[in-house]
Amino acid sequence: MTVWTPTDDGFADLTSHDTFVNGAPHNTFARLRRDDPVHWTDWDGGEGFWSITRHADISEMNRQPQVFSSARGIRMEDQTYEEYLARRTFQETDPPEHMMTRIKVAKAFSKPVIAEFENDIRKLCDDILDVALQKGAFDATKDIARQLPMQMLGRILGLPEEDLPWLVEKGDALIANTDPDFTDHVLDKMTTDEFRMMPFNSPAGAELYSYAKDLMARKDAAGDTSGVLHLILQPAKDGSVITEEEFRNFFCLLVAAGNDTTRYSIAAGIQAMCHQPELLGQMQSEDIWDTAPDEIIRWATPAIYFRRTATQDVEMHGKTIREGDKVLYWWSSANRDDTVFDDPFRVNLKRTPNKHLSFGQGGPHVCLGMWLARLEVRVLFQELAKRITSIEANGPHKFLRSNFVGGIKELPVKVVAK
Amino acid sequence: MKVTWKLPDGGEIAADVKDGINMMEAAVANNVPNVIGECGGNLSCATCHVYVDPDWMGKTGAADEFEDAMLDVAEAPRQDNSRLSCQITASADLDGLVLIVPEV
Ligand code: HEM
Repeated sequence: MTVWTPTDDGFADLTSHDTFVNGAPHNTFARLRRDDPVHWTDWDGGEGFWSITRHADISEMNRQPQVFSSARGIRMEDQTYEEYLARRTFQETDPPEHMMTRIKVAKAFSKPVIAEFENDIRKLCDDILDVALQKGAFDATKDIARQLPMQMLGRILGLPEEDLPWLVEKGDALIANTDPDFTDHVLDKMTTDEFRMMPFNSPAGAELYSYAKDLMARKDAAGDTSGVLHLILQPAKDGSVITEEEFRNFFCLLVAAGNDTTRYSIAAGIQAMCHQPELLGQMQSEDIWDTAPDEIIRWATPAIYFRRTATQDVEMHGKTIREGDKVLYWWSSANRDDTVFDDPFRVNLKRTPNKHLSFGQGGPHVCLGMWLARLEVRVLFQELAKRITSIEANGPHKFLRSNFVGGIKELPVKVVAK
Repeated sequence: MKVTWKLPDGGEIAADVKDGINMMEAAVANNVPNVIGECGGNLSCATCHVYVDPDWMGKTGAADEFEDAMLDVAEAPRQDNSRLSCQITASADLDGLVLIVPEV
């Protein structure tokens, strides 16, 4: 039994956000993996691009940043050099420059440092679940999944509690900028160039910029050296200091990356519990917690793709990728590749090994927040499973309108609390 | 070259590794536990942390500044013989290398 059977006709338009409103077009990905693993798409919204869909190919390419660079954009959309300079974060740099920033923040997001937050996370989960579960029937994305990640990120960054709801909202507008439910400025429907220089092409990015700047000033004034934000202001080994622009972009990156990716992992896990009722029992009585978080995150694949740009001509599977061509790694496809995953459309909480690529594993940009995300997912599901005797869908769920962020934005459920 | 990983449970895994392959790739290919290599050998994750058997430290050389910084990020405690195994590449003069896999 599969949990969810894709319904696309196998020839979906990957450039269209509307394609993704029923979930990722997995029939199309399956066809591309089989017949056309290096697939060219012409696009009227910009330069065309190559799609890489096999797990093995993505893994091989991702570890070669010198050939497939992140420094010319990481989304399907083209960007000019000026836009790149105005908006870029260290996610849009290549080694060794990438490393200079990443080492400043790596410690703060490392597994041992993050592990210290487990009790905080459990406490937050307690509070969130107490409120949600007593309703009996509710939207699990809104009432559970949406709450935890931002509150937790706020703690790690050392942000004031009262700022968190505002940040959740801005984070949503920033990243889900192609879904009208989340922003008034639906990206692909805009005709002006007004927002092109802003981070994530969004006015919310501009607001987050100025928040970050004020925050820094406040922290400096108070001599507050706690949290990650301070860490990245330290001079690098070569004495260079992060510029204000880089800093603001990094702050936006954290808000965007740490917010809805984790949220949609939680949502996808709850969706799976509704469709595979045996999962709840396993969570309650079996030893699955070393493997379950990664399986839930594989199932979710909240980051559908990221882009690279070829720095030289490359021959692959009979095609020639030319220098300057855009190349998309479709993590979403890799995570359903049946040459790597048995029964990929089924959630198997004990899946071992689980070489999913949800975090962009295998390359220098592998998710900085992966230990935090895994911990949040583990604790949330441990606490949820403890508190309920059943969970079921209470109506159809709805996916986000985005070919970049994969997520269930509405997930009506009914629970029986213990 | 031949390499041996000493495991936390007292066991050992030995393998022949071709020149040019790094010790993270070799460990992953031989299912050595606790050596993961999440960043593909790009010095971004520290999940391939190992201890070099003290007898071999002279031969494997020292960590450069990036590796040095990333060793602070590793899960198991850092020691003088800590290395990220993606930064040690198989070559004839490392034949017989012994790596100690940390407990995580
Ligand atoms: C399940 C949740 C998450 C998923 C699926 C996810 C996914 C990803 C992916 C695929 C990348 C690699 C992009 C590339 O290769 O270009 C990435 C990078 C990144 N993620 Fe996450 N992420 C998650 C949670 C988080 C959290 C909680 C944070 C921070 C608090 C975070 C911060 C970052 C940052 C800063 C990068 C850029 C790293 C670099 O370029 O070196 N992520 N993430």
